[in-house]
Parts: sequence; C-alpha cells; structure tokens
Amino acid sequence: MRRWRLLLGLALSLGASPLHAQARLNVVASFSILGDFVKNVGGDRVDVTTLVGPDGDVHVYAPTPADVRKIADAKLLVINGFGLEGWLPRLLQAAGSKATIVTATAGIAPLKAGSDADPHAWQSVANAETYVANIRDALVAADPVDADVFRQNAKAYRAKLEALDGEVRQAIGQIAESRRRMISTHDAFGYFAARYGIALIAPVGVSTEAEPSARDIAKIIGQVKTEHIPAVFLERIGDPRLMRRISEETGAKVGGTLYSDSLTDEKGEVPTYIDMVRHNIRTLTSALAK
Amino acid sequence: MTALVQFRDVTLGYDRHPAVHHLNGEVAPGALLAVVGPNGAGKSTLFRGLVGILKPLSGSVLTGGIDPEDIAYLPQTADIDRSFPISVFDFVGTGLWRATGFFGGIGKGAREKIGQALGSVGLSGFENRGIGTLSGGQLQRMLFARVLLQDARLIVLDEPFNAIDAKTSVDLLALVRQWHAEGRTVLAALHDMELVRAHFPETLLLARGKVAWGPTSEVLTAENLAEARRMCEAFDDGAAACVAEEDSSKAA
Amino acid sequence: MVYDALIAPFLEFEFMRRALAAVVALSLGAAPIGVFLMLRRMSLVGDAMAHAILPGAAVGFLLSGLNLFAMTAGGLIAGFTVALLAGVVARVTDLKEDASLATFYLASLALGVTIVSVKGTNIDLLHVLFGNILAMDDQTLLVVAFNATLTLIVLAVIYRPLVIESVDPLFLRTVSRAGSIAHLTFLALVVVNLVNGFQALGTLLAVGLMILPAGIARFWSRELTGMITIAVASAILSGYAGLVLSFQTRIPSGPAIILVSAALYVLSILFGNVRGIVRQLFPAPHLEA
Repeated sequence: MRRWRLLLGLALSLGASPLHAQARLNVVASFSILGDFVKNVGGDRVDVTTLVGPDGDVHVYAPTPADVRKIADAKLLVINGFGLEGWLPRLLQAAGSKATIVTATAGIAPLKAGSDADPHAWQSVANAETYVANIRDALVAADPVDADVFRQNAKAYRAKLEALDGEVRQAIGQIAESRRRMISTHDAFGYFAARYGIALIAPVGVSTEAEPSARDIAKIIGQVKTEHIPAVFLERIGDPRLMRRISEETGAKVGGTLYSDSLTDEKGEVPTYIDMVRHNIRTLTSALAK
Repeated sequence: MTALVQFRDVTLGYDRHPAVHHLNGEVAPGALLAVVGPNGAGKSTLFRGLVGILKPLSGSVLTGGIDPEDIAYLPQTADIDRSFPISVFDFVGTGLWRATGFFGGIGKGAREKIGQALGSVGLSGFENRGIGTLSGGQLQRMLFARVLLQDARLIVLDEPFNAIDAKTSVDLLALVRQWHAEGRTVLAALHDMELVRAHFPETLLLARGKVAWGPTSEVLTAENLAEARRMCEAFDDGAAACVAEEDSSKAA
Repeated sequence: MVYDALIAPFLEFEFMRRALAAVVALSLGAAPIGVFLMLRRMSLVGDAMAHAILPGAAVGFLLSGLNLFAMTAGGLIAGFTVALLAGVVARVTDLKEDASLATFYLASLALGVTIVSVKGTNIDLLHVLFGNILAMDDQTLLVVAFNATLTLIVLAVIYRPLVIESVDPLFLRTVSRAGSIAHLTFLALVVVNLVNGFQALGTLLAVGLMILPAGIARFWSRELTGMITIAVASAILSGYAGLVLSFQTRIPSGPAIILVSAALYVLSILFGNVRGIVRQLFPAPHLEA
C-alpha cells in the first residue's frame, strides 16, 4: 500500500516538474545592461528579450511594432527609470500589456544633472547590486516556484559584483589623485565618478541628443589646460571628432573608448556588464596612471 | 527646291485625342505662311510639334536638315517666371545664345545688337527694367526682340500680336516682312483675317485637319471658312480608335 | 570689451578659428546654391535630401560599420540617385519637380529604414553621420573647402544655361540640350553640398545656411548677382555672429548660427529695401516717369 502511494506521489511529481520546467518566465528588459542582469539572476528559468539591443542608443531609441509584440507577451518588464526611457510610456500604451513593471533603480538616490535626474545609475557597481536585488525580488514575485534558484543566482552574482567593486577601487587607487580626471563625450559617468572619486567633465549633457555650445567647449579646454588633465576618452556611441578636437587643442591624449550606455554583442568587446566595467577601468588606468 | 518643313501624315494631340489629324504638306524655304483657323483648330499644337516640344501620336514632322538651334519659337503663352530677378536686357540677350554659348562674353558688338533689337520693338529705355515690371504687350515685344537676336532660319510665331496695339503691330509686321526679305522662313498663327490677307502670301487653313493650303486669296474663301468652323469638334470621349488610312484615301 | 567679445575667442581657441573657417567655406558654397533653389521653388529640397541619403548611409554602414567615409560615400550615391531620378521624371513626364522629389525621397527613406531594421541594430545612423561645427578636424575642413571651391567653379560654368533654364525653360529646350545638362549638374551640386555639409556640420547648418540667406537676399536686391552676393555675405555674418553668441552663452553652435540668420531674416522682412513691410507701409514718393 505504502509503495503504491509512494509510486503515485513520485509519478505525480515527475509528471508535474516537466510542466514547470517548460514554463520559463517571459521577461523583457529595456536595454542590454538590464538584460544582462536579468540573465544572471534568472538563469535558464527566464526567457529574456531586450528592446534596445547591443550597440544601441537607449536615449534616442525609436520602438518598432516588433517591440510592441514583445511587451504584449511579457510577464515582467524591467526598466531603468530616472527618465532614461523617454520613449517607453507611449510604447506601453500601445502594447496594452499586463506585464508587471519593475524599476531597477528603486531605492537608489538619484544624482542630479541640472534639473533632471542622471539616469546612468548602473555605472556605480554598488548601485548595480541594488539593481540585481530589485530584479531578484521581482522575479521571485512573478515566479515563486523558482524562488530558490533566483535567490541563489542573485547571491552568486552579487558576490561577483562586490569583488568587481573592490577591483575598481583598487585600480583607481593606482592613479595619482591629481590625475583622477575624466573627460568624455556625454555625462554618463556621474555615478562612477561619485562612487570612486574621479572628477568628470563632459561637453554634452546627460543625453546623446544634445549639442554643445562654443562656451562649453572653451570651458573644457580651459579646464584641461589649467588642471593638466592627461587624457580624454571617446565613447562607443557618437561622433569622435569632438573629443579629438579637444585632445588636439589641449595636448591631452585620446585615452581610448569607454562604454557607457550599452553592451556589445557576444563577438564584441564588452558582452556583459562585468566586462564593460573591467574594460572601462583598464582604459582609464592605462591612460591616467602613467 | 527641297522643302524646309514636311508634315508627313502627322497626328498630334493630347491623351490620344488628336488636335491635329493626319496633316500632310510642305513648307518651302523662304515661305511666309500664315496658319489660320478657329479656336481649337490645333494651330498651337501644330507649332509645338514643329519645334519638337510635342511628339506626334503618329506620322512625322521633318525639318530637312535644319538644326533645332536654327529655329526660333515664340509661344502663345510664355511659361516665363516673371518673378525671376533678370533684366530685360539680360533676358533678351539670351537670344544670342548661339553666338555666345556657355561662356562667351557679351561684348560691345553684342550689346549694340541687343540695344538695336530692343529699339526695333519699341522697348528702348527698358534695358534695366526687371521682366516682372512689364505689361503683357511689353512682354510680348520683348520676346519678339529675342527672336530677332536669334537670327534663325525658321521662325515660328504663335499668335504674336495678341496683346499688342495696332501701332506696334504695324512695327512688328515690318520686322516680319524684313525677315521674309532676308530669306528666312516664317510661320505665324493668326486670328486677324485682314492682317493675313494684307501681309501673308500663303495660308494654311487648319481645322484639326487641312481645310485648304495655298495662296491666301484661294484659301480664305467663305466656303472654306464655313467648312473649317464645321470641322472643329471638341474631344469626343467615346471616339473609337482611328483607322484613318482607308478614309483619307477615299476622301482623296 | 568689444574686442573681448568679438575677436578674442577666435584668437584664443583653435576650434573657434576652425569653426569660423568652416562657416565661411560653407557660406561660399551653399548660399549661391540656395538662391537658385529659392528661385526655382525648391527650398525644401534640403530637408528632403537629408532623409533621402539614408539608404546609402545604411548600405555604407552594413559594409563597413560606423565608418564615416563609407557612410558619406553611400549617402552621396543615394543622394545623386534620388536627385537624378527626380530630375529626369520631372522633365520627361507631367509631374513637377517638387512632387517628383517628394515621392523619391520618401521611397528612399523607407528603403533606408528597412535596411537598417533588417540588420537589427537601432543606431540612429543619421545621428552618427551628422557632424558638428565645433569639431572640425583637418580632413573635414578640407572637405568643406573642397565643396565650396567645386561649387563656385561649377556654378560659374553652368551659370548662363542655369539662369535661362530657370526663367524660361521652354526656350532652352527648343534651342539646345544644355538645359537638361545644366539642370542635372545643378542637382548634383546640391547633393554634394548637402551630403558633405551634413557630414561636416549637421543638417541644421548645412540646410539652414543654404535657404535662410537666400530668403534674406530677396529683400535687398532685385537682381541675381546682387542676391547671390548678399546671400553669401549674410551667411558669413550669421556664422560669425552665431559663433560669438554660442561662445558667450550656452546656446549650441549650430542653432545659434541659424537663430542669428533667422533674426536677420525677420529684420529683412520688416526693413528690406525690396518689398519689405516697412517699405510697403511707408513708400517713397513715386517718380516722374
């Protein structure tokens, strides 16, 4: 008799688990960095699609009908918030989706850029850990069955991020204080600068859409000259000529390319967030440490 | 003497409706030919086919060995942009296109010619006026002056005296006669029968097809004029495709 | 103090000198073309062309990635194709120039967007392609200078047939084939100026300094050479004043230049010698003859 019940219980649970394994959680992330986080926390229990793919510019993205479908099918939508995805509200309306929206920056105190919030909170690795925590909580709420998997993945990933944070601190420590200055095209590294003690100067504001004035450029050139800033950095997105001009006129060398708003695809230089931070740090130290 | 212009069974029109229907005939070099007919007779259409603006629907127009540059055309309604900032002098000066080409300067000789041409049409003193300030008649005279400068072998005038007063018409007619005397071939579409009888030795009476073509006195008879008025019908939307070959041989 | 505001920035900063050089070169090339565009009622062609070049830039991107040279070359080819097709269709059929151009540029734009989408990235290609006057490197300056020289030379060559063709197109058609050649050459010049202008300076400046100075000139001269001179002069003045404005305030450089030009335009509408509003309201006494 007991064996019977045991067999029945086993059969039932065996019967049930394939069903569970098949139903992966459908999650949409607004851009590549968020997508990377979700993949790391969700593992093979989630199906992640990203709206603004590799090498995309999330500030000026123009959604397509395919995006509407993606959102309509999703159970969970992970966004950055802080005004990064200006194109999102309309898209949500169009999609009429019933997905739960998760703002990955919940609980992070935003830095100000003029009168608006600076959206690039992920540039501080400490903030990234908060992103991951928020994502973990959202995944758990949406798919409680896999809660343990999510929690474990998140714990492991956050440990990696902690280590990364330490790496960054150490690397910055190698740069002389007077040389801890960073000039880049747009104001994407505010959080990075605040957390790790680097001063940041940018000719364009926080969005890639804006254009600099002659006064802005003149100020930067003046600053580079007076403070003997050793290097300027290009960005993956945007016209490199402006930075090169500043470099030529001040003698500061072009230190390399930094990644700010987007990852690359698997074949590119920075397919994951951790790769991105490492790459940026390497570029910064090699240009500034000498 | 080979004909300067040959109309070989030519049909010209718009949107498959013929405005000139199966015209045959020749214009001898040095002719002074008036083309006459009621409104809608196809005179303007014929001229447009002659100068090459309109492709025939069938048949052909042969201009025996005369280059397009040797033809001067004065259209009925000039499609000129009157707001364009060009002076009468410069505009008329374009008539010397053949001599100056892309680059040739307007030298002293050329300037004199332009001045004379303007004088011949009664527009002396108008050199520096913008073309937008001219009246209809003055514009017409300016176009006449340009034709003068073009020094062409074949001159085609479409209703050249429309907006012009009697006195100026007389002056311009004198120019036409002078062209004829110089051996140029002149075709003019006209409305004024008296003028035609008085000044043009040859006439084509056109009413979509040829009604009569020959010496003016023989052509402009009451009979012919009546027939012309009859032949001029409007476009018939229900018309069948033309199978004219047999018809015209039957008529002949 | 005036010296500080007007001269010093250019002495002190090389990027300002380069920007000024670029704007002068741009004015020399673009302004005369703009006058002809305005007279031929083609003023909106600049905007249309900015979109029409997309498939060319997209193909350049597909083949060589974010390579400015490849994308510009592609843009030029696309621009020429659209301009050529539009010009030919306008000549050979009943369709007028503006409709012809509008249809082709829209088709071109749609094709461009399709190509970019099929590739799968969403980079705003045109955003990358369009440059900034404050970032003039040697190569870009050369391009702008080359533009201006080429334009002036070619315009001088086709000047006469272009003028005739603009004022009386029928005349030239009946006496020579030079009209078509002049017309198509002119279109080609427009494309070269625009595409190179976009790449060097962005759409706003490239198109703006073509059209606004022509509009300004209309109110000060009744005669073509006068118009062209005034157009070039007002373009240079706008460029200079705009750069100074951008230096003293936080207004971005491109918009600053165009705003100055627009202000000049408004002043011209009001106070211009030829058909200015004030002139119309308070006309000088008429002459005896």
